Amino acid sequence: MSTIAARIYAELRGDKAIWAIVALMAIFSLMAVYSATGSLAYQKYGGNTEAYLIKHGVILLAGLFMTYIFHLMHYLRFSKWAPVLMVIVIPLLMYTIAFGVERNDAHRWIDIPLTGLTFQPSELAKLALIMYVARAISSKQEYIKDFQEAFLPIIVPVLIICGLIAPANLSTAIILFFTCMFMMFVGRVDLKYVGLLLFLGIVLFSFLYTLGNFFPDIVRVQTWTSRVAAFMDGSGEVAQVTQAKIAIANGNLFGLGPGNSIQRNFLYVGYSDFIYAIICEEYGVFGGALLIGLYVLLFFRATRLVTKSPKAFGAMLAMGLSILLIMQAFVNIAVSVNLIPVTGVTLPMISYGGTSLVFTCVAFGIILSVSKYIESVS
Amino acid sequence: MDIKNEVLYRVYFLLFGLVTPAALTLIYYTVKIGVIEGEEWRDLGRNNFIVERDIEAERGNIMAADGSLLATDVPIFDLYWDPLTPTEDDFMANVDSLAHCFANYIDTDYTVGAAYDYLFQLRDTINFRKNRNVLLKSRVSYSEKKKIEQFPLFNLGQFRGGLIARKRNERKRPFGLLARRTIGYVRDQATDIGLESFYDEVLGGQPGTQMMIPLDRKRDLWMPLENLSSIEPKNGDDILTTLDINIQDITEEALLKGMQTHDADWGVAMVMEVNTGKIKAIANIERGKTGWYESYNHAIGTRTEPGSTFKAASMLALLEDGFVNLATDSIDIEKGRKEFYDREMEDSYSNSANLDTISVRRAFEISSNVGIAKLVQENYGTRTKANDEKAAELFIERMHQFNLHLATGIDLEGEKNPLIKEAYNTTDDQWSGTTLPWMSTGYELLITPLQLLNFYNTIANGGQQMKPLLVSEIQRYGQTVETFKPTVIKRQIASKKSIEQLQGLLEGVVANGTAAKLKTSRYSFAGKTGTAQIDYRRTDKGTRIGGYQASFAGYFPAKNPRYSTIVVIRRPRRAGFYGGDVAGPIFREIADKCFDSLTDLHDPIIEPTTTLRWTTNQLPHMDIGRREDMDVVLDYLGIEPSGDPETPLVVTMRQEGRDSVLLERRSMPEGKIPNVVGMGLRDALYQLENLGVKVKIDGAGKVVRQSLIPGTDPRNQTITLRLN
Repeated sequence: MSTIAARIYAELRGDKAIWAIVALMAIFSLMAVYSATGSLAYQKYGGNTEAYLIKHGVILLAGLFMTYIFHLMHYLRFSKWAPVLMVIVIPLLMYTIAFGVERNDAHRWIDIPLTGLTFQPSELAKLALIMYVARAISSKQEYIKDFQEAFLPIIVPVLIICGLIAPANLSTAIILFFTCMFMMFVGRVDLKYVGLLLFLGIVLFSFLYTLGNFFPDIVRVQTWTSRVAAFMDGSGEVAQVTQAKIAIANGNLFGLGPGNSIQRNFLYVGYSDFIYAIICEEYGVFGGALLIGLYVLLFFRATRLVTKSPKAFGAMLAMGLSILLIMQAFVNIAVSVNLIPVTGVTLPMISYGGTSLVFTCVAFGIILSVSKYIESVS
Repeated sequence: MDIKNEVLYRVYFLLFGLVTPAALTLIYYTVKIGVIEGEEWRDLGRNNFIVERDIEAERGNIMAADGSLLATDVPIFDLYWDPLTPTEDDFMANVDSLAHCFANYIDTDYTVGAAYDYLFQLRDTINFRKNRNVLLKSRVSYSEKKKIEQFPLFNLGQFRGGLIARKRNERKRPFGLLARRTIGYVRDQATDIGLESFYDEVLGGQPGTQMMIPLDRKRDLWMPLENLSSIEPKNGDDILTTLDINIQDITEEALLKGMQTHDADWGVAMVMEVNTGKIKAIANIERGKTGWYESYNHAIGTRTEPGSTFKAASMLALLEDGFVNLATDSIDIEKGRKEFYDREMEDSYSNSANLDTISVRRAFEISSNVGIAKLVQENYGTRTKANDEKAAELFIERMHQFNLHLATGIDLEGEKNPLIKEAYNTTDDQWSGTTLPWMSTGYELLITPLQLLNFYNTIANGGQQMKPLLVSEIQRYGQTVETFKPTVIKRQIASKKSIEQLQGLLEGVVANGTAAKLKTSRYSFAGKTGTAQIDYRRTDKGTRIGGYQASFAGYFPAKNPRYSTIVVIRRPRRAGFYGGDVAGPIFREIADKCFDSLTDLHDPIIEPTTTLRWTTNQLPHMDIGRREDMDVVLDYLGIEPSGDPETPLVVTMRQEGRDSVLLERRSMPEGKIPNVVGMGLRDALYQLENLGVKVKIDGAGKVVRQSLIPGTDPRNQTITLRLN
């Protein structure tokens, strides 16, 4: 056993702490998903919860394989990919709005021909945009505080991509928008331009909101307002949040133990949106805090990369991806503890869900690739 | 500012100014909800809609002595459909083929078109109905359910197709109406009866409970919750009865035949194992409006005046008190007519009219009422020194000594207590001058068939009274948890000598008395006939309803008896009314068949010293059968066949010379009349009836000729087979 572990360890390049985070999160994910899919499995597979465990395990393994592959690549390749990906992603997002598969009233998925699988273009768009922004920031470092030369070329794609994602998936768009904003902040963009970007974002949102009143099928304005309204007066859909709180309370300090969740039976999306509550229920407040700590640790390791090579594309890329992951994580957790309205954001690396999990793994792979080269330089 | 430092400041601002506070906020809120406000939320959690549901325990089996199932729980299913579960697409894609299956399997009253319309109607009117789930078919077996689950739409599963199967258990009696009242039933809106009732607690088990949570309350979908305490149902235990399937069957059949022959009101026949008191069979048959039923357990629940079968008890009292000496005593039966006080007693035996003084033994054998009544009246009628000045009190004491005043305590509900009057108790007109003589001949007392059988069983058992035993074991998952051993009620109801004398008298009844025509050379038996008048008292208008109760109680074989048996036939209307004519033959039929199964009592079959395996002219010829069967037969006969047809499912054999046999292929053309010549009737019928051909049979043995040529189209054909 130890020899196998040693061999795997020898295979892995890059920041071993990040590898450890990936491994720990994968274990959390398997256990929590296995627990939380109980009622889903009862409905679809007559109680065969292993069906979900196996399915999730396979996706997770595939994801970890992607992590491995991407971490082997040289991260400068991603810099070359960035513009190409942007060219692909924009029409793909348009196609999704027009012809995407409808699930829960949202056009977020497209069918991959011949495979029977579905795919969320917004996940790809996130990667593409972050690569593009990282490349732009690092290549324009010399004149980064210039409006026309640096600011405009960066913000136009951000506004386009976020504007295309927002109609069906507002929360993802907002997270992505803020990720880019923080990247620009780290990348020394003038603070007044960062403020301007925030203002432009609000303008874009207002425009979409107005548009939504004319085309409710495309822009889910009603969902947005109803969720926010429900959050404000604490009724309706928030019943799910109450169940999540009960789950956290059931867990108390040390949790009910693996597989003993009761609330999974009442949390209809306990395996994705509310998985944090299930983790708290089974592993207690300590388990929840440990998970939050893992995300913070990830971000901390990414800042180390930036401190080591502040101007490099790689550091900016790793920074951007870490910001994206931690923001997603915090938004998801904030929903479970009822700090913000219900969104559809998954807990990265933990939640059940194919596309999102695979792209999270790819993001980890890219971060590891960066860490590998930055370490070898220093 | 240094570029590097500017980047670092900004990164550290993110880390310490945003990320860390955000993380701490989230942890704080988690702690707040989970620990600080914890109790409040946990309380709310307990109010979650969890319900406790009973889980039906499986009811135990009732088994015959050999373990065959007399009553058992079989799971059945009620199939419901929720028309709102399937999506429009799923419904439209499958409704055609589902309608087809529906009309052909689920409800054949529907044509395919009607079923199609019906399915649409169900779906479209669902909002107007109270219950969304529509009962498609009830009482469906497991295999049928499996099949229906494979129908289009339904095969998508409960949550897409909407087919809901609700399981329940139904009581089944694999042997049909056999021993119906004794097995009994427990059901709503009816009095519980039989073993099912008496052993209800044992059989019933304990229902369990299960926490269920709603998946969808509108659709009444519930999911069991495993991690909350649930109590497993404790399944009921099985009871192993003493009933013998074969004897019960024989008994019911014999009784039914008798009932039909004599067109009686009701009849009882029972078989009991002498040494143990085990009840081997209880049959009750009653005339119903449309046929013959077992609708009441008269064997234990109906007490009647038994008539002459009770004379055995009177005789035993006389013997026990030493009032008669069978070797020397005689009695004047006064040509079968005598007045006791104001009532005339008459013998039912017609020859009595020519008889006066006969031996006491003879009086018993011909069942002379006058004879027995006079003996009892002379010895117990007045207070004398011989009877300790007790008179009738002594006679009643003897009845009590024989336990004839007590119920047997059989483990069935509804056993009636017998009625033996209290001597000289004149309240309520109980006792009169005529009570004693009439009682001695089986009137003015009431007893059930079972109680009388128990008395005869005791006689057969040499005086040791056994408790009737109906259940011998309680089993749990095939393991015995409780055994009911044969129980002795009374070690000796009368002296050995008296019992032996009475046994002799009962043998005499069969040898040369009222049951003489029933005797057989195969085995000996003993018993007593009874022909009781019923409704003999005249009504106010002077009319008499009349009628008789014919009975026979006895045991077999006469020496070392195995079984005691009673047959009671109430009010026969046809073909005689004497106990010996009506009940006796039924007794014989039961005894005959029981004796067949008592192989240890049979005369040994003389085995031939040398076994002739075959002779030339018995060599198999033109026999058809499966190749492997043939090989077994030929191997046994020691014949090496010639010829080895390749794929013969059916093979003929032909004699060739003196001692060899040739195997040939016999082909069976599919869908055409086959050549069945040479086949046994069973094989031939199987072949032909599978083709739908009507078969007429002429003769017995193997088929030697068939009326249709092989290869004929079998449709709408009738074939005549000649057998030889």
